[in-house]
Amino acid sequence: MSDLKFIGQNMRRKDGPDKVSGKAVYSQDVKLPGMLVGRVLRSPHPHARILRIDTAKARALPGVKAIITHADTIGVRHGFVETPRYPADQDVLAKDKVAHVGEEIAAVAAIDEITAQKALELIEVEYEILPAVFDAEEAMQPGAPEIRAKHPKVLENLANIAGKTETEWGDVEAGFAEADYVREDRFENQLRTHGYLEPQVTLAHWESDKLNVWTSSMGTFIKRAKLSRTLGLPYSQVRIHKTYVGGTFGGKIDLYSHEYCAARLSMLTGRPVRITANRDEIFSAYRHSQTLTIELKTGVRKDGTILAQRVRIINNAGAHRGSGVVVIFLAWGFIMGPYRIPNLKYEGYAVYTNHTTRAPQRGHGAPKVRFAIESQLDMIADHLGIDPVTIRLRNARGPWEELPNKDNTHEAGLLDCIKEVAAKSDYLNKWRHGRQQPDPTSTIRRGIGMGVTTYMSGTLIYPNGSGVIVKLNDDGSVIVLTGALDVGQGAETVITQIVAEELSIGMDDIKLIASDTDTTPQDIGAWISGMTYVTGNATRQAASNAREKILKVASQEMGVPVEYLGVENKSVFNVADSQQRMTYAQVFSASVAKHRGDTIVGEGFWRTMRDEPTHPSLATTKGRWTENYAFSAQVAEVEVDIETGEARLVKAYTLHDCGFPVNPGLIKGQVDGQVSMALGQAFMEEVMTKKGYTLNPTWLDYRMPLIHNMAASEDAEVITEQYRVGKPYRTKEVGEGLVSGVLAGIANAIYDATGVRMTSAPFTPEKILAGLRKLEREKAKELVSQ
Amino acid sequence: MILFEFEHENATSAEEAVTRLHEIETETRFLAGGTDLIPNMRIGIAKPAHLVGLGRILREPMTVDGEGWLKVDALTRLAEIEHSDLVTSAAPLLAASAHTVAGNQIRQRATLGGNLCQETRCLYLNQKHDFQFVEPCYKRGGDCCYPFPKNKKEVCWSVYMSDIAPALMAAGAEVTVLGAGGPVRMSIDHLFSGDGLRPLTLNLGEMIRYVHVPPMGKDSAWGYHKSTVRGGLEFGMAVMALTFRLDADRESCKDARIAIGAVNEGPVRLSKTEAAMQGQRLNKKSLTELAEMASAEVNPLPHHGFSKPHLRDNIRVYLRRAMEAALARAQQA
Amino acid sequence: MLDSPEKTTSSVLRARPKPRLVTLSINGEPHEVVVRPHIMLLEVIRDHVGLTGTKDGCESGTCGACTVLLDGKPVLACITLAVECDGMNVQTIEGLSEGGQLSDLQEAFLDQAATQCGFCTPGVIMSSKALLDSNPKPTVPEIKKALEGNLCRCTGYNSIVDAILQYSGQGVKPLMRKDGAP
Repeated sequence: MSDLKFIGQNMRRKDGPDKVSGKAVYSQDVKLPGMLVGRVLRSPHPHARILRIDTAKARALPGVKAIITHADTIGVRHGFVETPRYPADQDVLAKDKVAHVGEEIAAVAAIDEITAQKALELIEVEYEILPAVFDAEEAMQPGAPEIRAKHPKVLENLANIAGKTETEWGDVEAGFAEADYVREDRFENQLRTHGYLEPQVTLAHWESDKLNVWTSSMGTFIKRAKLSRTLGLPYSQVRIHKTYVGGTFGGKIDLYSHEYCAARLSMLTGRPVRITANRDEIFSAYRHSQTLTIELKTGVRKDGTILAQRVRIINNAGAHRGSGVVVIFLAWGFIMGPYRIPNLKYEGYAVYTNHTTRAPQRGHGAPKVRFAIESQLDMIADHLGIDPVTIRLRNARGPWEELPNKDNTHEAGLLDCIKEVAAKSDYLNKWRHGRQQPDPTSTIRRGIGMGVTTYMSGTLIYPNGSGVIVKLNDDGSVIVLTGALDVGQGAETVITQIVAEELSIGMDDIKLIASDTDTTPQDIGAWISGMTYVTGNATRQAASNAREKILKVASQEMGVPVEYLGVENKSVFNVADSQQRMTYAQVFSASVAKHRGDTIVGEGFWRTMRDEPTHPSLATTKGRWTENYAFSAQVAEVEVDIETGEARLVKAYTLHDCGFPVNPGLIKGQVDGQVSMALGQAFMEEVMTKKGYTLNPTWLDYRMPLIHNMAASEDAEVITEQYRVGKPYRTKEVGEGLVSGVLAGIANAIYDATGVRMTSAPFTPEKILAGLRKLEREKAKELVSQ
Repeated sequence: MILFEFEHENATSAEEAVTRLHEIETETRFLAGGTDLIPNMRIGIAKPAHLVGLGRILREPMTVDGEGWLKVDALTRLAEIEHSDLVTSAAPLLAASAHTVAGNQIRQRATLGGNLCQETRCLYLNQKHDFQFVEPCYKRGGDCCYPFPKNKKEVCWSVYMSDIAPALMAAGAEVTVLGAGGPVRMSIDHLFSGDGLRPLTLNLGEMIRYVHVPPMGKDSAWGYHKSTVRGGLEFGMAVMALTFRLDADRESCKDARIAIGAVNEGPVRLSKTEAAMQGQRLNKKSLTELAEMASAEVNPLPHHGFSKPHLRDNIRVYLRRAMEAALARAQQA
Repeated sequence: MLDSPEKTTSSVLRARPKPRLVTLSINGEPHEVVVRPHIMLLEVIRDHVGLTGTKDGCESGTCGACTVLLDGKPVLACITLAVECDGMNVQTIEGLSEGGQLSDLQEAFLDQAATQCGFCTPGVIMSSKALLDSNPKPTVPEIKKALEGNLCRCTGYNSIVDAILQYSGQGVKPLMRKDGAP
């Protein structure tokens, strides 16, 4: 490990100079001559039948170049999931009815914004208002307004079921019967948004029978697939160009209507069309996170060992399936990952309502699930008189455990994470201190809380793999072609580090061509948390492949067997006689001259769980989920003002098993960002809605953390894997899973500080004060009864 | 981006601006820093046909006269006010409140007069109305109220959220209003109508020209608090400002003024609590009782997701703390 | 009332306002643009002059991504009318690395990995520059006050504060290292 020069080092970001100098080109910055402005007409009703659309007046407006409605589409639907069980249920423009406020009905292309806006106002739509339903549990009741037909394979007498995940093992009832203590709790979560700074924006240009697209996304290949299918074009006729991406956090995956509309309008007008969603639109019509309601029944032995768990999750999925049927699968995974549960019964429902469609959001359900599980575990520990560290150590999974789905925990570092985070935070000395010995002169109570998480590092989902090409230039420098997309997480930097290490070449000598669907190999994109593992291994393989070719040529030229050759600083040298060397430039010339023009191109491919045919069943959870579980234990220290109910995160400690840290500095950035997201989720963020309308579609009223709210964040890795040049490696996820433990830790810390148990997020002053008053009343009652 | 066109001209003097406002026949608005008006034009809740820019009018320097009154040109930017040593010493409440407004970039542009003339706010109002809440509400000249559907046409429970207005009210400030008939000086209390539809008493073509803040005597105390969720950037959930004087015993209170902002259609004085403070010996116990009384006296509108009881809770605690801080500061002086 | 129906009608019927010439010095270069009054400074910078380093995050003055210096003061270009800036000096992110050489402040952001997706970065750096121009050794509370109007969703802000502390020589060492060929 010590001989690694780039891997494991805090190398500065490859894209950093572009980003700090304003040179980085985002989709918003691309402009083409003759560009038209597109805008989308959206539904003002949460649920209505469309009786008539009349675009005649709008078309007649000077400066309007094209208008499209569903009639102008080929009628192909799309969905986050498109499987036989869950066929696509989303039209690119509404057909016959709208099911949420802001649903897309028509789009215009015009010469400028004002004309486009006027055109929208001139489109006449006649609606028949339908009864709407917004609460998931109401929407499930038989007789509720039908948004879409319930899933045919769900046999229960329930309405609006978009999907269901069901699984069990062991015998839960027997487990509860055997348990010394059983408790049931219910946890609720608010609607949150991603808060990407760059608005959704797409520029499309149909030119010479080719559609060129620049769009702010999380993966260009998946965008190409969905656009091609909905437009009825062969993949080869659609090219998604690389741009920098101004934040996604889950909110720019899948297809969005405006992307389709920009493309279709460009095809109709033959001119470039750009559609930018304004921030109000993003808040009130675009996709937010999933709000899971979690009912949790757990039975334990006296010593805290979990015997059985029954979990029922209801997800308010909004007007389409979106990722709502994925999150109810993932929620199961986030439940069964960290702790051994010998008997489990799990049911997850995704329910259609007349809210906006939902998207994944950093952690995709994990923060909500872990908030519930970790809170209840602390409640159990409290009842049993066990401390939070001991109960976690008692149940946490160790290395090489086989999970019920036949996955394996591999070199799991969870036990070390828990022990080390407890030590680092001085957990057991601080725990209960705030409540038992409060400072009588202060209204501030300090508390400490812990949360534990497991997260997948890549799973099988379109296109299930990554390819990378490493090309040597004749001066010995390198070009890397990768489909990976840097959305801020540092993909380009990590890929460059790997190539630099494998070829022993400076990072400045490596140039990347990334995420362009025409010129780079296919890649999964910046989601499902597998970039460093999947694309990283493909990169390593491509670089190794190039290195093998370099060594082979050098071996022939130098008359030295390959085993005696080393590489350093863009040259090959004889290990026995380091004076004997050849530069990569010389190797390149020799290869071209003597190997039939071979310019030394390395190829690499990787797919996670290579032997698995397909992804696990969303219905039953059967099948492998991931071969790489990341584990973490996090601690939150909070301060609560018991007079105002205001709470804040003072410090977060993160101990995580991320395999081998390719770039610890970038990992720290991921940790800090997730701590910030967790505290936003805990204390301040909520998309407020009323009857499907969004009340706070602005950043003044949707409160994302400011610099005032930053918390100290300390992190350390439990390193369970090694990186060796030329060998496959297992890095683990670091970009999504670390919201969870902090959120759960904050909830537990508030309890530790005040005795008030939070069962619904966000943890507002109003809720905390209500809890404190309830405790006072109970105390008063106790005194009276004594 | 504003999706309609309008005329714009710059005035070179306040008098010229006022004259122009009367001359121009289409709907015309003064444009000072624009940090309230421009976002409101963007979402179409203000649609002037013509703007008269005040940015080119030479700003008069802030002065303190012989009697200790601070005179501030209403076109002075908030950043200048918050960082001014003169304001910090002569009118600390004004400096403290200016410091809490929005974010730094806004304070660099926003003016004192503009802050006082800001529109009232409501979640349903402060957003685009392309496909949400499309039908105009009373405030937008229409025929409904979204948050309070039972409200009658003349009633709009939008909230006036200036952070500075309550501070100036508590300080006993006066304003010079410039209109067609020349300048008129009046108590700032008279600036606010208490009507959510038209929160200011200014007539067409009138502008706030100066703000005058009376001197703080050696026996004077002041306190200020703006409650927010995040400690900055956002509008307040409640704003509390107060002044009082201490008697020779350094404990008894007289001439108290308490103003609460961001919870009603205008900033409100708490006259009952003020009266109760007269002659009161201030200590932890009495301040707790007074804050209790103030919290009952104020009648906050639920706004921006905050309930009435919670706003009362917040005001009860933070007003007491602001009073305690004021007392401690005055007793140390 | 904000706007009565009569006024709305009249505003639709009125004649188009004439465009006017606005002269700006942008990063020291003179620029003359012809704009109608409703055009924002942000549109002039990004679309007319073509400096796209200044970002458009919310177009409503709430996120700080469009922060530029106007006569040395940080302002939000998305809610500032271009006609109000006639004759003024504008500094954008591009002005900090004239000749392709990054400024020390930009280098400090790289050293601390204080940029991730990078969309807030130009605005954050311009707010930081405005602070440091007037206050070369700001305290952490002063940094927070100067940057409270700049939203960043990626970093949690810790690395941004560190970058400013490093640049201002307040004991923070670089976290990241530059490329060096092995």
